[in-house]
Amino acid sequence: MGLLFGCRKLPLDELAGDLPSLKRFEDEVRLAMSQARKSLDLVKVPVPKALKIPGASIQNRFGMAIDLDLCDGCGKCILACNLENNVPLVPNADAERGRFMHWVEMRGNAPFMCAHCGDAPCEKVCPTGAANHTPDGLSAMMYKRCAGSRFCGANCPVQARKFNFNDAQKLGLARQFNKEVPLRDKGVMEKCSLCLHRLQNDRLDFKTRNPLSEWRGRGVKTACAEACSKNAIVFGNWLDEKSPLVRLTKNRVLYAPRELAALDPSIVFMRGRR
Amino acid sequence: MFRYLMLAGLLLFLPGLGALGYSVYEGPSAWLTDARTFWGTPISLFVFWIGLAHAGTLLSAIFLALDIKLDRRTALIAELSTLVSLVFAGIFPLMHLGVIENFYMVAPFLDARGNLANARSPLVWDFCCIAVYALLSLLFFAVHLKTREIPALEKYRKPMAWLLFPLVLWVHTIVSLDFATTFVPQWRGAFFPVYFIVGAIFSGLAMVNLLACADGYRVRLLERLQLICSWLLCAIWIWDFLFKGYFCTSAFIFAGVLPQFRMVAAVRESRVGRIFLSLSVLIGLFLERYYLVSPMAGTPGEPGFGWIDLGLVAFSVGGFMMLFYAARSRLNDSMEGEGTYFGEVDGSDMANVEESEQFREKTHGLAFSYIQPWSSDEYKTLRYPLLAGFVAALLFVLWICLKLPFFRTPYENVEVTLVNVLPLVYPVIAFVAAVALVCKALWIDKSIEVGRRFYVSLTAGLALLAALAGAFYAGGASETPAGSFASAPLNVYNPADSAHMELVWKARCAQCHGVDGRFNEKFVREFYPVPQKLDASRIDSLGADSLVKVVLEGRVNMNAYRGRLTESEARGLVMYMRSLAGAPDEPDSAGEAP
Amino acid sequence: MSPLLNALACLISLGCASFLWRKDSSPYRNGALLAAFLLLFSVFTYLGAGDSIAADPSLEHYPFRMLALCLCFSTTSLKIYRRRYLVLAQALWCWVELFGAIALYYRGVDAACLRIAALAGITLGSTFLSRISREMEFCLMVFWIAVWFFF
Repeated sequence: MGLLFGCRKLPLDELAGDLPSLKRFEDEVRLAMSQARKSLDLVKVPVPKALKIPGASIQNRFGMAIDLDLCDGCGKCILACNLENNVPLVPNADAERGRFMHWVEMRGNAPFMCAHCGDAPCEKVCPTGAANHTPDGLSAMMYKRCAGSRFCGANCPVQARKFNFNDAQKLGLARQFNKEVPLRDKGVMEKCSLCLHRLQNDRLDFKTRNPLSEWRGRGVKTACAEACSKNAIVFGNWLDEKSPLVRLTKNRVLYAPRELAALDPSIVFMRGRR
Repeated sequence: MFRYLMLAGLLLFLPGLGALGYSVYEGPSAWLTDARTFWGTPISLFVFWIGLAHAGTLLSAIFLALDIKLDRRTALIAELSTLVSLVFAGIFPLMHLGVIENFYMVAPFLDARGNLANARSPLVWDFCCIAVYALLSLLFFAVHLKTREIPALEKYRKPMAWLLFPLVLWVHTIVSLDFATTFVPQWRGAFFPVYFIVGAIFSGLAMVNLLACADGYRVRLLERLQLICSWLLCAIWIWDFLFKGYFCTSAFIFAGVLPQFRMVAAVRESRVGRIFLSLSVLIGLFLERYYLVSPMAGTPGEPGFGWIDLGLVAFSVGGFMMLFYAARSRLNDSMEGEGTYFGEVDGSDMANVEESEQFREKTHGLAFSYIQPWSSDEYKTLRYPLLAGFVAALLFVLWICLKLPFFRTPYENVEVTLVNVLPLVYPVIAFVAAVALVCKALWIDKSIEVGRRFYVSLTAGLALLAALAGAFYAGGASETPAGSFASAPLNVYNPADSAHMELVWKARCAQCHGVDGRFNEKFVREFYPVPQKLDASRIDSLGADSLVKVVLEGRVNMNAYRGRLTESEARGLVMYMRSLAGAPDEPDSAGEAP
Repeated sequence: MSPLLNALACLISLGCASFLWRKDSSPYRNGALLAAFLLLFSVFTYLGAGDSIAADPSLEHYPFRMLALCLCFSTTSLKIYRRRYLVLAQALWCWVELFGAIALYYRGVDAACLRIAALAGITLGSTFLSRISREMEFCLMVFWIAVWFFF
């Protein structure tokens, strides 16, 4: 029994032209990892609390913690994310400049993605409101509302946002591995969605089965967390005591990139014990 | 002379147009964008041209404030260059968008889904300010063109100039905030508003001096000011360097060092020398904006300035020359004669007022130089329109910031404070005040006779506006659920499966009819009339077919589910509903809590 | 900026103001003076702030605030059009503060609302001034210094 209902627009099955092989995606991940930035400047941050934006949920705030003690930088999470979210390949010229579309990339030998800041600078400057915050802590993108002004990308202190410079579908660089995630058109911004579709599926399923209970997103895992053989990526709900995220980050020291430390990130790094 | 310049402009413009077309087709990857900021050449050109676009009005406004008289021809040239620059300043932000057809989403316009542009974004401030500026300049221009026929309009020109004066500064300040509000290290700068305004005046002066050279004359005052501006800008650059450690050497050489050659008499006295000075300033300032917008462009690993970038520059420069000299030669006759063009408006007659003031001072001593505060004629014309503007701005701010329950805003889930919307306040004031001023002139003062043609065109204009508004409003509406349902059903399921039907029931029907088929009283009493009781005898008497029809087509308060449910699902639901109702003789207990 | 240096900055502005708009001075002189003052203020801020210059975003427009203050002070020595230039100089200061605050607000620095409100208030209020007497000049200067220090 899968997802029953949804108002999401579903993309077409067939795309014009040849679909790129899985190997090309693997090769691109390898190439991106070889070009990755080596340094990651981390500072200590407190445990994320409920969001301060109006209308925010006091039940849910989703996020992740990346365990730097366990992570060996294998890069499986990158490929898993690309396949889960149908992240397209880039032409060679872009690849040479390091302009990949990957939502997860390697920095300082650890996975690095949008931190879903509680006080996100990208959302403040988005002229159309395409970049917005959901009440449960996701920095979301409304692709159809995006005018491609790229202001959000300029204002992201860690450059976590990726711009669709190319029409990947027309160039035969995109492949829809996952039917639940739409392919993005040329000219829009995209970034880590914290596997929004998985959360939505779980929420709909939960609400259908238990119409009267409160959904806390238990049991959901993002694609990168699922792919990590070391379990170094922990997904969960910062406000739920039973969430693996809260349990595993207890007694750990949390870090965030220096540029983001003041912006209340939902995705943090952990290292060492307290 | 003008014809040759026009032709030269055309020669530059045509290949430039090709580059523009290619970049619109290809999107932002066509031109140089650095890895950090995603913007590149079009935005540098936007900042460059918007700076020039403000120069004309800025010059007249500042000269007005400082009681410096500018001759009519120079004022006209400056004003004309303003208008033409504005055209190119408008094109670049539009063409740089990734999804150009979505440009209207940047306009603060509520659409059918309740989406409104994000009032916190500097880009939205930009859009509003520039739109209001363009509108007011046009109105100003139109009023001035008509003053010959309708002398009564004369008294509205000065008040409008006063409305425009802060607006011009405001617009360029907002452009600077596009950069200063971001986290890009090279754009740190709470001083950017001043910096950008100085840069705009500097480039405007250089442009006016260059155009004067082409006209075969010179304005020494403007040349001197150009030199002074270069010193000020250099001081600002040095602060920028001290503060961030970045320095654009090429801009410093072109716009900081080379203009100092004005101090050499041989350079200053030859026409070629003056052209060289002004050109070097313009080149330097373009390089500076280029460096500002793409701070990483020079670093290794980044591609350089390509053909498309050059083409875009050529497009704007050539287009400017073409348009400017086309307009210039058309206006040639009227420039010698009576006023037809806006710009010199405020210059001469305002200066007369000042002169008389000075005269009074000199003849009667300080005792008579005193002017009652808030007593000028402009203020008297402007006060009620301004009041309307202030009230509108206040309402606007309250609407956005207060989040009143009975007056909903689209920003309920967004943190919006006064600081976020302050930049929109003056454009709102200016816009409403200008509209109120027009209304006042037309219907309250009745100083202008307007014919039927005016009303016809006004009605037509408003109708067109309403039609556009309707189109944009609907543009945000979602496609019909049936459309997205039909395009691809997500899962193929077996409608006979009662477990599946249970889920469908819970998701689709249970809100009203209740999980157990005995309607959800709490919800229903609050929102809708009570639905029909679905007891077994009723279901049996209606029959499955008619119930399927009710599910699909709807009835009274029941929604139609065609397009959201397939027919077999509807049938399955009816069967499930029947199973919920139980045996026919079971007593009904609709009020019971689930 | 420590309070002492802040006071020194105010004093420097006051001192610089007396050089501006001398009788029969050319625009070159005044322009060069303005540029030189700005340079002086920049160097002062740079040296005065030391290492904290990168850490404290509110220093970004400090030299420009000094320049605006200097211009405000300089209007008291004008002979004619005093009200107009007084209002313009204060409006410039208000402008620098307001838009500086907006820019910084987006980078997480709280706006100095009181200072901006005080400046906007005095700018609006001084448009109602009739003849500006010595006492009024003094009051205005005290007010500016108070805004500089305390708000």
